[in-house]
Amino acid sequence: MIAEASLGSKLSIVLATARMRMLNVSRYKGQLFVEILIPIVFAAMPILLGRATGGAAAEANFLRNTGTANYPAFMLIGSSTFIIVTFAFWLVGYWIRFEQETGTLEAIYLTPTSRVWNAAGIALYSAIRSMISGSVAYLIGSLIFGVNPLQGQLLLALAFILVGLVPLFGMTLLFGALVMKVKEANSLVNLMQWTVSLLMGVFFPVAVFPPLMRLLALAFPPTWMVNGVRSALLGVGYFFGEWYLDLAVLWGFLLIAPLLGFWVFSGMERNIRRREGVGEY
Amino acid sequence: MTAIERAASPSRLTGAAALFSSLLAMARKEFTIMTRYPVEFVASFGQVFALVAIFTLAGLTFADASGEGGNFGGVVIYGFILFMFLSDTLWTIGYNIRREQKQGTLEALYLSPASKFASLVSRVSNNLIWTSLLSLAGVGLMTALVGKLPFANPALGLYLLGLSLSGTFGIGFAFAAITLRVKETGETLANVLQFVLLILCANFFPFAALPAGLRAISRVIPLAYGVDAFRSTLMGYPEGFPELASIGVEIVIVTVFGLLMPLIGYWAYRVAEDHERRSGGLSEY
Repeated sequence: MIAEASLGSKLSIVLATARMRMLNVSRYKGQLFVEILIPIVFAAMPILLGRATGGAAAEANFLRNTGTANYPAFMLIGSSTFIIVTFAFWLVGYWIRFEQETGTLEAIYLTPTSRVWNAAGIALYSAIRSMISGSVAYLIGSLIFGVNPLQGQLLLALAFILVGLVPLFGMTLLFGALVMKVKEANSLVNLMQWTVSLLMGVFFPVAVFPPLMRLLALAFPPTWMVNGVRSALLGVGYFFGEWYLDLAVLWGFLLIAPLLGFWVFSGMERNIRRREGVGEY
Repeated sequence: MTAIERAASPSRLTGAAALFSSLLAMARKEFTIMTRYPVEFVASFGQVFALVAIFTLAGLTFADASGEGGNFGGVVIYGFILFMFLSDTLWTIGYNIRREQKQGTLEALYLSPASKFASLVSRVSNNLIWTSLLSLAGVGLMTALVGKLPFANPALGLYLLGLSLSGTFGIGFAFAAITLRVKETGETLANVLQFVLLILCANFFPFAALPAGLRAISRVIPLAYGVDAFRSTLMGYPEGFPELASIGVEIVIVTVFGLLMPLIGYWAYRVAEDHERRSGGLSEY
């Protein structure tokens, strides 16, 4: 009879997985540099577009359309959140694929542990890596575009990000299940990162969407995350008027999304193991 | 004459017919690989939809009370088209060479008497058609979002697009040469180069938005003139366009770029290839 693993040993799997991936990525310094560059360049495009097309009225027009005149900070927050969301999809959604490609997936399946703890380790790694990249990009971008990065309620903004991360990773498990089934991980992740950016309003408020699309966007945790951060730092306005109501919605997502993600992922995994085997790709 | 003798006859190994035939066979092989990934076809359309919508909605946040946003529709979409082609060319040629290295088929390719030039061009020939379709879809979507786009001087626009593409092919060849030398770092370099060019060639915004220092750097990049001339021409030269030089000067620069860059890029590729063959690094990755 095999004894049930203790919580301590399960946590050690999470930490070991995260550490292994951190060690791996630390070998690619150029890639780490690009990760900081991406949000800055990505935000620079709408900022420069706005400056050129809006001219002297850019700030006034932006204030009327979004609720803040500080458009560089608005765009930088969007692009920094984008990198966090994108990483979650790339690293967690692509995790199974990564193990398939490196030939380690079947070995993982032979270990006497649930895959959910490995996935939690990848999520921890993704959260640390993306938070560092997003924060550094926001700070450097703020310096480049002349924005005060320490304005507004920083702790509240951080709370929105941290609470939003859990449902985000829950969603990525749903996505991981799809990747496992369809197998064309690159295409799916590429599509997903831009669809997510569009839905969460990376460079604009979701109020500009038609009603049905707005509803879809609001059913999506990153939308609440990015609007929460913008409201805390720039005062653009919470969806429900008060910060605690918006945060409560994110807590609701926090309870539902991981369970739903785990349930779908496990079901898909069981199904694939019975049929074609997870090692095939 | 036996089948082997027929296959090895000089007329089938050299000359224009042999070049065309190997290009066709290689393009067909690339097309067969592409069709094995149907999700990618759907996903690439979805990506274009999302990207165009993101930048259009971002541009509209600067529109005045009447919803007027100036020339931004034309600036974004025509710059976006050139960006898609550049991105494809930069990635595809170098990435494909890496793929052949990883699959262990690159050395086998070099043992065949087929044209190396055809091998390089075949990597992008399918993408060229596919990206053209995506560009048309992007224009359609942009029109649906912001209304009718300016579309003046189509013949000159097509000429500028063709030569700019020819120039980006040259950049792609040169980049494939770099990929052969730096191997895995090529992916990171492609990323950095893509972002740097995205800013310096001002694909998504007018050059006027760039700080003076960066604009001075843009002026020494021929591709920047391609972007400026192409979109200014299609927009019918509104006030302030073209921004980097007069249209006559820009046409000359784009023409020289389109004619010379493929030759320079291919020469760079052959030099890198020769170096790798001599040092035995062709199959190393």
